[in-house]
Amino acid sequence: MIRFLLRRTVSTVLVLLAMSAVIYVVFFAAPHDPAVLVCGKGCDGARLAVVRHKLGTDLPVWEQYWQFLHGLVAGRSFDSGTDLTRCAAPCLGYSFQTDQPVLQMVTQRIPVDLSLTVGAMVIWLVLGVGTGLLSALRRGRLAERALTALTLAGMSTPVFLIGLMLVMLFCAYLQWMPFPSFVPFTDDPGQWAANLVLPWLSLALIMSAAYARMTRSSLLETLAEDHIRTNRAYGLSERRIVFGHALRGALVPVVTMLAIDVGQILGGAMLTESVFGFDGLGRLLVNSVNQIDLPVVVGVTLFAGFFIVIANAVADVLYALADPRVSVA
Amino acid sequence: MSKSRAAVAVSAVALLAGLTAACGAGGGKSSSAAAAFDPATCQGGTLTVLNHRGQGNFDPAELYTSGGGKVPTLVFRTLTTRDHTTDGPDSAKVVPDLATDTGKPNQDATVWTYHLKPGLKFEDGSPIKSADVKYGVERSFAPELPGGPPYLRDWLVGGEVYQGPYKGGDLASIETPDDLTIVFELRKPEGDFPFLATATQFAPVPKSKDTGTSYQKHPISSGPYKVVSNDGGKTIVLDRNPNWARSADDQRLACPDKVVVNSGLDQSVINQRLAAGTGDDANAVTSDTNVNASVLARLNSDSALKSRVVTGFFGETQYLAFNPKVKPFDDVRVRQAVSYAIDRESVVNAVGGSSVAKPATTFLPDQPAFGYSPYDYFPAGQSGDPVKAKELLAQAGYPNGLTITLSHSTVTGDGSGPEVAAAVQEALGKAGITVKLDGTADDDYQTKYQKPATEPGLFLASWGADWPSGGPFLAPVFDGRQILADGGNYNSFQLNDPKVNAEIDAANKLTDQAQAAKAWGGLDAELGKQAYTVPLFHPIYKRLYGKDVRNAYVSQWNGLYDLSRISVK
Amino acid sequence: MSETPTVAQRPDGSEPGSEGPDAPVPGREPSGPRPDRNQVWRRLRADRAAVAALVVVVLLVLMAVAAPLICALEGQNATTFHNNLIDSATGGVPIGPFGGASGDHWLGVEPGTGRDVLARLVDGAQVSLSVSLGATVVQIALGVLVGLAAGLGTRTVDTVLSRAMDLVIAFPSLVFAVALMAVVPGGFPRPLLLMLVIGILGWGQTARIVRGQVLSLRGLDYVAAARLTGARRHRVARREILPALAGPVITYGVLQLPANVTQEAGLSFLGVGVRPPTPSWGQMLASATDWFQADPSYVLLPAALLFVTVLAFTVLGESVRTALDPRAKSRLRAGIERRRKRPEEAQA
Repeated sequence: MIRFLLRRTVSTVLVLLAMSAVIYVVFFAAPHDPAVLVCGKGCDGARLAVVRHKLGTDLPVWEQYWQFLHGLVAGRSFDSGTDLTRCAAPCLGYSFQTDQPVLQMVTQRIPVDLSLTVGAMVIWLVLGVGTGLLSALRRGRLAERALTALTLAGMSTPVFLIGLMLVMLFCAYLQWMPFPSFVPFTDDPGQWAANLVLPWLSLALIMSAAYARMTRSSLLETLAEDHIRTNRAYGLSERRIVFGHALRGALVPVVTMLAIDVGQILGGAMLTESVFGFDGLGRLLVNSVNQIDLPVVVGVTLFAGFFIVIANAVADVLYALADPRVSVA
Repeated sequence: MSKSRAAVAVSAVALLAGLTAACGAGGGKSSSAAAAFDPATCQGGTLTVLNHRGQGNFDPAELYTSGGGKVPTLVFRTLTTRDHTTDGPDSAKVVPDLATDTGKPNQDATVWTYHLKPGLKFEDGSPIKSADVKYGVERSFAPELPGGPPYLRDWLVGGEVYQGPYKGGDLASIETPDDLTIVFELRKPEGDFPFLATATQFAPVPKSKDTGTSYQKHPISSGPYKVVSNDGGKTIVLDRNPNWARSADDQRLACPDKVVVNSGLDQSVINQRLAAGTGDDANAVTSDTNVNASVLARLNSDSALKSRVVTGFFGETQYLAFNPKVKPFDDVRVRQAVSYAIDRESVVNAVGGSSVAKPATTFLPDQPAFGYSPYDYFPAGQSGDPVKAKELLAQAGYPNGLTITLSHSTVTGDGSGPEVAAAVQEALGKAGITVKLDGTADDDYQTKYQKPATEPGLFLASWGADWPSGGPFLAPVFDGRQILADGGNYNSFQLNDPKVNAEIDAANKLTDQAQAAKAWGGLDAELGKQAYTVPLFHPIYKRLYGKDVRNAYVSQWNGLYDLSRISVK
Repeated sequence: MSETPTVAQRPDGSEPGSEGPDAPVPGREPSGPRPDRNQVWRRLRADRAAVAALVVVVLLVLMAVAAPLICALEGQNATTFHNNLIDSATGGVPIGPFGGASGDHWLGVEPGTGRDVLARLVDGAQVSLSVSLGATVVQIALGVLVGLAAGLGTRTVDTVLSRAMDLVIAFPSLVFAVALMAVVPGGFPRPLLLMLVIGILGWGQTARIVRGQVLSLRGLDYVAAARLTGARRHRVARREILPALAGPVITYGVLQLPANVTQEAGLSFLGVGVRPPTPSWGQMLASATDWFQADPSYVLLPAALLFVTVLAFTVLGESVRTALDPRAKSRLRAGIERRRKRPEEAQA
């Protein structure tokens, strides 16, 4: 088990390293000079050089990347020319265009994505697993067909489409609720939830489709396994069989899928944020890309990648722990 | 206005200013609101500012403002400021702020002397001295604090080499003979100096409190509010400055007890929130977002909503820029053909219709303060004159039309974006000019066209007023001595005509604004004949404010309501 | 790509393959004898949902291919501005009900420009379909190449390529696509760029499946026999393995298509996809928040088209999968089996 974890950790780190290196290469392949814009109107060569030095763009690519890695592990200091700014490990870099540590910009926005994820997750689990269970246990033509239609529709709707339609219906036409706008949980939990209902629904309606299918197929599969058949042969009630024995095993793939999805959305739900105008990690990334604010782009991508890779690792471990058939040697 | 605004908007320049004279039009009239409004009892509540762009670094050296800015004017007092107290044409005038008058020039306007009002204090209670103003100006020279306007470096004696107080000691051309007097020595006559002195670079900074690039996190206030918290410009919270008193400031009312600036919001979200006006949004305004189509469409049927929309003008021109180093734009006939072919109606519609933009045929904004003198040498009418354009092209040697590339920014919703490019493409197509579009991500786009070496042949650009006068409008774009090889260049045509340069110098000498306006207007009309640019439109500001906001009237300097006099009670 | 939980898009290493309850470890067993073509057709024809989806897909493709014809029939094109058909003072709302629909403009005109909506929709279909098809081809080509190389190569090659697959699958692909699309110079043709970016960021799953198939095929008698008789590696690959891969690869490709349609629309929605004046459904939807009150039909039309397109391709993909692998049929109704790769496989 320990060897397995160790191996996962090493490969996780490698993936993240490769990811950050690729971003550096991509951004340096195209010519950019953010210094000119930071410097402002009427900037001459000497001033420009100072600004470039301040931004760190006067160094070769590999050196900038090395400094970035160094900062990630050991922290680093940024010399702005007038004072030193200390950026403690894990230093995701420093955005001179906004004069903030990238980590701070990221953590400012985490509440948005965390709120999105948590609420949507609850809804899609209830909806998805519930529908899946129901249709697995009541295997009739109608229920089956309804589920197939529902899940296909869910899978076929881009999240921004469903978000737009919800806003259009509930805010513009029925006017049942105001246009959503993010309110931090700590400010007003009621408003927080009220404003998040539509984003949650948009994400959840789409995600629950996959969960319904997964739950159903997984449960059916488990029910067909030998030990369940044995239980059935012993005359246990169907209810006991399902809830006492089959469900635990059947939910394993659901839980691993959940880990991955949560990891993805935590790293920034670009489309959902865009539809509802929430200022989360996804929007931060889109804006930074447009402003060629490289430290932020690298930082956010790495952060998003971090969640995804960690989620994958967690999923693997969960799977290994829960499924006795998998050897983790 | 912030550095990041300067970076983001294609009108990188510009920032405040803007003036409308004859047209105090629209809902901006304060008459009805003023009747119910009493400055004596307006105090209280929290004003929320909902903005799209971030405020950026809140350092008076790095902010790019004139007239004191919008949010900055709440925290920083400057030597002079725009007239906050009225919404008429007078609001485009310069009035004293920290100083006792708008400045005393010497004979040829090369030496400007100011006296500070006595008894002024910083937020920590210490007195504001002339040395603090000098230090504030000096800081803006430091390359470590980039982003401010370039004029000081160009105007002050020794300014072009001075590197700021951190490395360069002090600047000898600013003298402080006593604690209340400050004297600026310029290397050439500049009649517009009082306008420049409205910028936040002229806000006092106590040297002992300067923390370099970290100063922006907590700048020392000289105005009615102090910064309580600022998380990188995303949310700025301002609270009352106990050491500021109305008695020592005749420009600001400072009615709300607290001001919260929320930035980074989606433009349609801002409009939706202001229109709905629920909760705190009833006490909200925006200082950077125009009403969108969904609001405009409702105005005719919803008079309550209509009464909350104010209209203002900002001196800005969106135009097509030519680079004569790229063929065929060296040929004046080709440039004229493009001028004839342009369809301004399509362009105006592409940016939101006639409510938020008006077609432009002059480079100067159509406000008297800029010296506007109307001309239309290549009359394209509403929708272009492709026949005339074809004739000119044939004369220029392109009887079968030609293919050119138009560069634009990829950011939708500003005047240099893909929608405008598509409108231009469509119009020129009718005249036999095949236009290929070349879009670049916004910041890169600006970097590209502001550097002569990478400047495209034909591109969308805009120029906004640093203050309501013709000088800062024409000089950076047409003065041959302002061609900057390293970037930040706005003289796109790279025009270096001794005659034009001389006329600019002559106009700069004038301290009489009416005379100066005439001179600038004449110069603009002359430049127009050469078709160095194709003016497309001047923007109109139409902005919504919350239900419970009082005394919201539009300043004709920046086209916006004055945050320092709004009440939410 | 987060927010689009399409089966084929999952980065979790789950295989949309068809191993059933009694199938042993995935990737170890070949996907059985290939069904012959007639059989596949028969099964597809018997599936009513598949027939309906196929009809819709054919119609969509026809619409895209015949876009110039449709425009000519209507007498309009996608780029001409009609300033007289919109109300400039209210921001450019089309004059008249239903987005300004009339005998000249059957589905109305675009707010702000007065360009013909029908023309823009059918041109948008061209972009949407060609980009997603192109991206799928790129994904499949890259995936098959890398998968084959990994499956047939030496242990080191396999290890390196498998890591590369992990990397591509773990990449936050939407994040990367946004970054790439913004950085590439404007002169590069956008639809081609979209194809390449979506393709290059999305081949990981295909490669993984192909590798798994190759590994299992390698152990089969007839392949082993071919190798024993001294056939060279690439000959074995071409003659024995590639044909056997066709089934899973086609299935996967069809399932990948709707995901690519969604991704194209998403990128255009975020403003980094195709650029004006080239029309795109995602782009039309991007301005929806400004228009859904003033001009709802402008929003609903592309929304409906996008939904129908993705739905039709998804249904078709599911049906093709079932037709190619009848064992999975019962499970299609039940839901797709989505089992994570066993860790020891992932470590291979």
